[in-house]
This record gives sequence, C-alpha cells and structure tokens, in this order.
Amino acid sequence: MSSTLSLEARGIQKAFPGVLALQDVTLTMRGGSIHALLGENGAGKSTLIKIITGVYRPDDGELRLNGAPVRFEGPRDAIAAGVGVVHQERNLIPRFSVGENILLERLGGGLMRPIDYDAVHTEARRWLEVLELDLDPRTPVSQLNVAKVQLVEIAKALSLRSRVLLLDEPTASLTPQEAEVLFRLLRKLRDEGASLLFVSHKLEEVQQICDEVTVLRDGRNACPSRPMAGLGRQDLVRLMIGRNEQIPDWPPSDHSRSERMLALKNVSTALGHVDIDLTVRRGEIVGLYGLVGAGRTELAKCILGLYPLTVGEIEIAGRPERIAGVADAIHRCGIGYISEDRKQEGLILAHTVLENAGITIWRKLAGRFGLLRDEAVRAHVSPVIAELEVRAPSLAQIVGNLSGGNQQKISVAKWLAAGVRILIVDEPSVGIDIKTKAYIHELLRRLADQGTAILLITSDMPEMITVADRIVVMDDYRIKGELANSRHYTQMGEGIMALIHARDAA
Amino acid sequence: MTAAFSRFLRTDWFGPLAIIVVASIGISIFDPSFLSPFNIQILLLAASVNCLIAMSQMVIIAIGQMNLAIGAIGGLSAICFAGLMQVWGFPPILAAAAGLAIGVAAGLINGYLIARTGISAFIITLASLSIFKGADLGITRAQPFYGIPVSVKAFGNTTIFGPIPWLALPTATVVAGMWYLLYRQRIGRYILAVGGNANAAELSGISIARTVISAHAISGFLAALAGIMLVARLQLGQPSIGDDWLILSFAAPVIGGAALSGGHVSVFGTLFGVVIVAIITQALVIFHIDPYFVEVVLGLLILWAVGVNRLREVRFQNVTRAA
Repeated sequence: MSSTLSLEARGIQKAFPGVLALQDVTLTMRGGSIHALLGENGAGKSTLIKIITGVYRPDDGELRLNGAPVRFEGPRDAIAAGVGVVHQERNLIPRFSVGENILLERLGGGLMRPIDYDAVHTEARRWLEVLELDLDPRTPVSQLNVAKVQLVEIAKALSLRSRVLLLDEPTASLTPQEAEVLFRLLRKLRDEGASLLFVSHKLEEVQQICDEVTVLRDGRNACPSRPMAGLGRQDLVRLMIGRNEQIPDWPPSDHSRSERMLALKNVSTALGHVDIDLTVRRGEIVGLYGLVGAGRTELAKCILGLYPLTVGEIEIAGRPERIAGVADAIHRCGIGYISEDRKQEGLILAHTVLENAGITIWRKLAGRFGLLRDEAVRAHVSPVIAELEVRAPSLAQIVGNLSGGNQQKISVAKWLAAGVRILIVDEPSVGIDIKTKAYIHELLRRLADQGTAILLITSDMPEMITVADRIVVMDDYRIKGELANSRHYTQMGEGIMALIHARDAA
Repeated sequence: MTAAFSRFLRTDWFGPLAIIVVASIGISIFDPSFLSPFNIQILLLAASVNCLIAMSQMVIIAIGQMNLAIGAIGGLSAICFAGLMQVWGFPPILAAAAGLAIGVAAGLINGYLIARTGISAFIITLASLSIFKGADLGITRAQPFYGIPVSVKAFGNTTIFGPIPWLALPTATVVAGMWYLLYRQRIGRYILAVGGNANAAELSGISIARTVISAHAISGFLAALAGIMLVARLQLGQPSIGDDWLILSFAAPVIGGAALSGGHVSVFGTLFGVVIVAIITQALVIFHIDPYFVEVVLGLLILWAVGVNRLREVRFQNVTRAA
C-alpha cells in the first residue's frame, strides 16, 4: 500500500425523499494536503461525507481511490480501504471505557481467548498520547465532558491509521488550546502524506490550516476543488452564500432603567452554582459567556425549575417566584428556553412544523373538554413561521427533513408563538450557517427591541460581541464578573479572558 | 477500605445480594425451616429454570429490544423434546439437541425479521409468539406428553450433593458462559455496544444485523434450554410451558440493574434478581398468602426496580457533572 492516497468523488448525486441533497458534486483530495469542505448548513457537506465513508450509497457518480473506482457497501468497507471519519454526531458507547471505544471493532480475542483489556487499554493510551490527552483509557465515556468525547473520537479515527481522514466540525466543542493541539497533529499527518478533509464553520480555522478547498452551495459545487491560496475570507463567504457577509452595526443601547424582567439574587443551586446574581431587563440582551462546562446551560435549567435552588431567590418582573417546573416557567412566568441541543431537547423531529411550533400553546388554545383544533393552532403559528422565513414546503412538513438552520427557526418560532417575556437562548448558532446565523442575530435583536428580555448563552465570542448588550462571564459555576459591551472585539475579548482567568490569581 | 466498599455499593449486584441476605435472615427468624436443606433445594430448583428464562430476556434487553416470544419458544422446544422421546423414541440427548436447535432456529427467525425489516422487536416477537404458541398447541392438541424417560425425570428431580439439584448445573454453566460472553467476547461487547448506541456501533464497522440476529439466537437457545429443563422437572411435556414466563423474564434483569433502553445489563444482578423472586414466592407460601398474589408482587417489584435504577442514573449523572 502506498503511503499517500488520493480520493476523488465524481458526479455524485444523492436524493432523499423530497430533497435533492447532492447534484453532480465533485471533490478531489490529494495526499499530503488538508482540504477544506465548506458550505452553509444544508449545502450537503455531511451527506457527501457520509457517501465517502460508506454510510450512504450515491444514486449516481463514483468514488475513486488512487484512480481506481471503489464501491463501499457500508462503513466497514470504507474503514478497510483506509478512509476514516470523525462524524459530527457523537458516536461513542457511553457505558464503555475510552479504550474500548477507540478499538471497538478491533478488540481481538476468540472463543477460547478472552478479550485482553490490558492490551486494549495500552494500545488506546498510545493514541490518546498522540493527541496529548492526559486521560485514563479505562474511564467510562459517560464521565467525560463534550470536549474530551470529541478528542476521543478523533483518537479513534487516528487509531485506524486511515490514509484519508474526514473531520466533520471537529473543533465545535474544543477550546482554542485543544484545537491548536489538533491542528498541530493534522499538519503532521499531512506532512506524512495523509489526505485530510476538514469541515468547519469557523473560517479563521479553515484559513489557518487548509491548503485546498471545495465549496458546496445548495447541493452543488460552488467551486471545484482548488488551492486555498488567493482566497480571502470574503471570497469564501461569497462562494458559500452567494453574497457578501453583512456584519450588523447596532448602536449600543442603555437599558439600566428598564424593568428587571428576570433577577437572580444570591442564588445557589443543587447543581453546584454558588452566589449567582444576574439581572436581565426588558429589551436587553444579556450574554452569558463561559467555556464548555462552566455551568451556563445548567443555570438555565435551574431557572426553568428543572433543578432546585438551595439558596437565594428568583424574581420575575419584580415579584419573587418559586418556579415549580418547565410548564410553570412557560405558562405562569413567561420564560422560554431554546436548547443548544435542538435534536434532543428542542424539537420533536418526527413531528410536523405545525406540531412543533404549536406545542407551547396547545394548553392555551385547547377549548372545552381539552379539544384542540388544528385551525386554531395554525392561526397562531402561521404568522410566526412566515415572519421567520422558515423554508418549509408546508406546515405539514416533518421537521427532521429540514436543514439545521430551519430547524433552529422552528425552535425560535415555538416560543414566539407562546409570547414569552423572557427568552433564554442557548448556543443558538451551533451548526448554523453564516446566513441563518446573521438572521438569528437580527431576530434576537428585534425581539429584544419589542420588549423581550433575552439571556444569551454562547461560547462563540464574535456572536456574543455582536449581539449582547451586556456580557456576564461565568466560570466553574460562579459569576466572575460583568462587562458592558463596547462591540470592540479585541478589547472585549481581552476583558472576558481576564475575568475567566482571574481565579488563577485569586 | 471505604473506597473498595463504595465500589461494591455501586455495582449492580450488591443491592440485590443485600436484599437476599436480609430477607433470608428475616424470614428464617419467623420460620427457621426456611434455611433447611430441603427448602434451599426447592429454592434452587425454581431459580435454576427461572434464571435461564431471565438470561434469555436479558440478552435481548442488552441490545435495547424486548422478546415477547421467549415463553412460546421455550414451550415449543419443550414439547418437541418430550414428543421426540415419546413418539419416536429419541434418546434424551438427541431430543434435547433437537429442542435446542428449534430454539436457536426460532431466535434466528426473530432476529432476521427484526434486522431485515426494521420493524420493532416488540411487534415481530408479538407475532412470532402467536405463531410458535400456535404450533405448540397444534402439535400437541393441548395434550401433554407423558412418556418421559426415567433418566430425564431423575435429572430434573435429584441432587448432586447436599441441597444442590442437578438442574443447577446447566444454569451455573450458563451464568458463567453469559458473563464470559458479555464481558470477554467480541460478540457480547457488540451486543452491548449496539444496545448502548446503535449508530455509533454501525459507524465503527459493526454489523448491527449480525449482532441482533446473534442476540436473538442466544435468547432462543436459552429459552429452549429452560423449556427442556422444565420438562425434566415437571416429568411431562406440558404444552402450557412458557405461558407464565414473561413477567419474570423482565423482573429479574431489571431488579439486577439492567437498563431497559439497552446497553447495560448485569449477569450476576440478574441471577440475584431471580433468587429474590424465588424467595418472595416462598415467603408468600410461608406466610400463608395466596400464591396467586405472586404476580401482583412481581409487578410492584418491577416498578420499584425501575424506579431505583432511574434514581441511580440521575444521581450518577449529577455526580459526574459536579466532578
């Protein structure tokens, strides 16, 4: 087997019921290069990756490895041919150890020869060390945080010694330091002759490490595979969305005299938050910044009444309230929560747009005997769906078939329909393309201007600085401080980081 | 010491074992004959067969499915075993092999249909339950086979030494074998991997279809073995064998800490779950409570066990999050 392997996808076509996901798509990956695959959500990146790795079979077109046509009947064929992948979805067995997950399909052993777990864990440790990951391979995956899980998946893909390695948003949950380790490793693999495909929404990363690029738009090549040299950020954005990126320039606004819609006073929670003081005023967007694991989502869940407070109280519109649970939060207190995990917590993928967007108002609209008429729901939901420009053929469309951006719009829509006064938005643009992201930002601003109090949780610093009026920094389940947003990127970034690292000095 | 002890506390089998010890002591205070060799033998006889029934379901719970047909498979294998000996004079070993082969075949059919059609195991096994049970009743005309050889009857009703019945021998082998399979064999790990996250397992190159089919074949084999052992114990090929297995088959693994969503079962927890059920059955007799209430107690026990598992899971998540 030669040390470099080039992979070519030619004229790939793939249709799903109702959607032509890929149309005549071509991708050429050379050995010894890191190839960026760019495109908005729904452009077909993940579908193309799944075709290259044998998860899907193309309707038309062919794959070539080193010039020879290949056909993968399943992931196993692709792995055997030296094509490895880190998928976007988390793909580990939670109850199994890190080591067993890494070597899952190569555990060895036979009928009379039990699996040698010492050997498995020793081998796994090697791959963790390659990633400079100080982790006991015997730890169950269920005990790892998101970033570690991501790195273990990368270790798993590396352990296959794939000559073609595809990474679908590998840095989505990594800190900059962790990402840097990964990039060093990718460069090393490239220098050893591997073909790497890198998918990311963070264009800075892409420009930093990729030397070739293919852009997809609406399931077609927006550009054929070409060198990265000569392409600037704006060129990439134009290829991806067909127009220039627009950075909104909202004037800073002062809300310090508006009504306090949500106030946490000296709150400690059962999940481990200590002395949390937080205020969100009418018309204000307060950003809650922190690294993954800082306790922000957990705080949101405590506000929603999912976990009890141990100390302190929550005031809604100036009145102390005991929030008994999510239903209470929505219907009595008017608090909506847009989950970071759309697929698990935000939407019922198998249900229609109408059912998803209307779920929060069923209780309000249900007539005598709890009878619920579709027309009543439709009357409330339709204007919101139209306002959000959801691209769905009809309200009867199954949400699972929509793109990530449109799914996110639906999860916003259901709270708009409910008419909440306080909206907690958790990582609204994870897995969302640039165009929809800008749209979501504008939408949040508009909602705030109409009087909604918004608590925005995000790890995306540019997003925070674009949207928030005030930024509260959280680390290790405590509030570390607060900054008025000057919309000055460098200054704010430094201020936030200084607050996070303040604990080291203390 | 405390670290080791807290590790014991967290295992799935510790709780059930503690219940067994406490219950045995408690009951024997009221009635010292509870721990007599004879009573222990009765307990072991019941537990031997029930343990196989529980293991048969446990392996399907491990892949995140359920098998409603284990009773029907066990019954069909049992009457084939008995029928071959009575009608055609098969030697017991050969008849048992045929009975086991029927169990495996039934499991393979279930597994194949589930894997290939993508229809839920609940529906497939509900349908095959009816088919296998119908075949059982059709073959026997609902009449038992009485012509069971003496050697088979002896196997089902004599002891090796002390209170240990011969029937405990295959069961002990199966328990050890299941542990080896699930924790030290590739196919066992695949079964748990598919139950834990089928998508991840598939993307790792594991064949889900093959894993599901294997699990159902193992389940069928164990159900058949339980049916055959029950023929030896009852000394007749009763067509109604298997009719009352379903509740027990879920109760024991769940008491033993199995996650009904799949991916996590405990072999020893299940074994102790079976013993707990046997003790409760006995206790009802000792305290002169109508044995028909066993089902009520089992139902409550399942609810309690699922509740405890849920609580442990929530606490486990909170602990790891705080760490």
